[in-house]
Amino acid sequence: MLAIYKRELRSFFHGMMGYVLTAFLLAASGIYFLALNLGYGLTDFGYYTLYRTIFMLLLYFPVLAMRSLAEERRARTDQLLLTSPVSVWGIVVGKYLALCTVFALPCLADGVMIVVLWLLGGTASACGANFAALLCYFLLGCAAIAVCEFCSGLTENQIIAAVMGFSALLLAYMMPSLRSMFNAGSAVALVVFTALSAGASLAVGLRTRSFTLGCFCFAALCAGLSALFLLRSAWLTEAFSAVLSALCLFAPFEEFVNNSFSIPTLVYYLTVTVLFLFFTAQGIEKRRWN
Amino acid sequence: MIEVSHLTKKYGSRLAVDDISFTVEDGVIYGLLGPNGAGKSTIMNILTGYLAATEGQVTVAGHPLPEEADAAKACVGYLPEQPPLYPEMTVAEYLDFAAELKGVKKADRSAQVQSAARRTGLEDVLPRLIRSLSKGYRQRVGVAQALLGSPQLIILDEPTVGLDPAQVIELRRLIRELGRTHTVILSSHILSEVKAVCDKALILSQGHLAAVVDLAAEERDLEELFLELTALEETSDKKED
Repeated sequence: MLAIYKRELRSFFHGMMGYVLTAFLLAASGIYFLALNLGYGLTDFGYYTLYRTIFMLLLYFPVLAMRSLAEERRARTDQLLLTSPVSVWGIVVGKYLALCTVFALPCLADGVMIVVLWLLGGTASACGANFAALLCYFLLGCAAIAVCEFCSGLTENQIIAAVMGFSALLLAYMMPSLRSMFNAGSAVALVVFTALSAGASLAVGLRTRSFTLGCFCFAALCAGLSALFLLRSAWLTEAFSAVLSALCLFAPFEEFVNNSFSIPTLVYYLTVTVLFLFFTAQGIEKRRWN
Repeated sequence: MIEVSHLTKKYGSRLAVDDISFTVEDGVIYGLLGPNGAGKSTIMNILTGYLAATEGQVTVAGHPLPEEADAAKACVGYLPEQPPLYPEMTVAEYLDFAAELKGVKKADRSAQVQSAARRTGLEDVLPRLIRSLSKGYRQRVGVAQALLGSPQLIILDEPTVGLDPAQVIELRRLIRELGRTHTVILSSHILSEVKAVCDKALILSQGHLAAVVDLAAEERDLEELFLELTALEETSDKKED
């Protein structure tokens, strides 16, 4: 795992990629820091710089993560990795940590900016809030990297991986506004959940290679949903809106920088990370069996 | 060293390897022989743990796949059909990375890299970028990578493709030399190569194992035998159609 981490990290700084990406993000936060925090004397770095430049991340992460697995597959170097005594988890996590390290560089520079604000006369509590916002920003980034790495594992074409990652992040970014369009009744929720359970049953069927088990799984899920629909239809709509809000990757960060430090937000980002790393490893594993 | 029983591999609905069983003995050089699409690369990919078998059991150095995959992989050095190289690295960096990946301890790493480079004639190009190497040198870097971690078993998929005649002779000499201390499996569709290098040949045809030939004991010409075995399969298939 360590070998993979080191190689991945070095490959970013062998070429231009690592420098360009870091400069790209630093330029954005630098401009906002200069104009808002220094220019207007606002001490809230979390809101005025990190939150305002969050749209840059929509481009940054897909480009950062597009190579990681897709390029290995295209160049057939995945054969070296997968035939070495390293587990699939080791490969996925090693690459993931390297990507997080590259993202940590602009975050470190952001940390310096926060210290500068403090030295210029910011209060200690503002400084603490800024650092908490930076932590949340970093964890948000780690979750987004996991999503983009998953996209990279789906294809051998870097461009397609980047476009998929961008689409996924854009959807998550716009989800808070899209949600109002789906202000659905329980019938729509039922249809969506039925489709989701069909997908889950299909996955179960393929994974266990048993058609019967997949059918049973689907039947059981449908029965459960129908019962809920008839008896407690309000639960379905609530669950539906909960699912939609879980897809709003950027919304918890917005609440976080509006001065509400919350542990659940941090846990949410860590959960998304673990979930998508798991999907990535499963995706690689699945390809070997087909 | 390797035991394969009733191995079957399907890609979707296409049958690539059909119910093959064989045993590979220690310290012997095996040649995997067959026409294009006979399943040579698929078998090698399964033996090295890159692909999983659809059915059947594979045991490498006493470790069943895929249950003890990591232990089995540690015993195998593998050169795939296309050498798995990172063009932006230098040869030395790449070999060092491969050694670390195979779990070679830091203290032994540079000695192992040096010895693998010496055996494959790479000493002069160690500081060069892999991007700038010729096809023959890239192939040698791939072979050197397979030697790292002192594996008991070395699997080479078409190792002499794209090399010039002098390099071919050199590589064959290296394989014979490796055969003294390791078990080697190489695939090829060049009959003379198998005859020159291997002790035994496994002849494949359309996913079936057509014959296991002991090249020292076999009196008939390998070429004749190969054509006979692979043609037989084709005619019997045509009859079935």
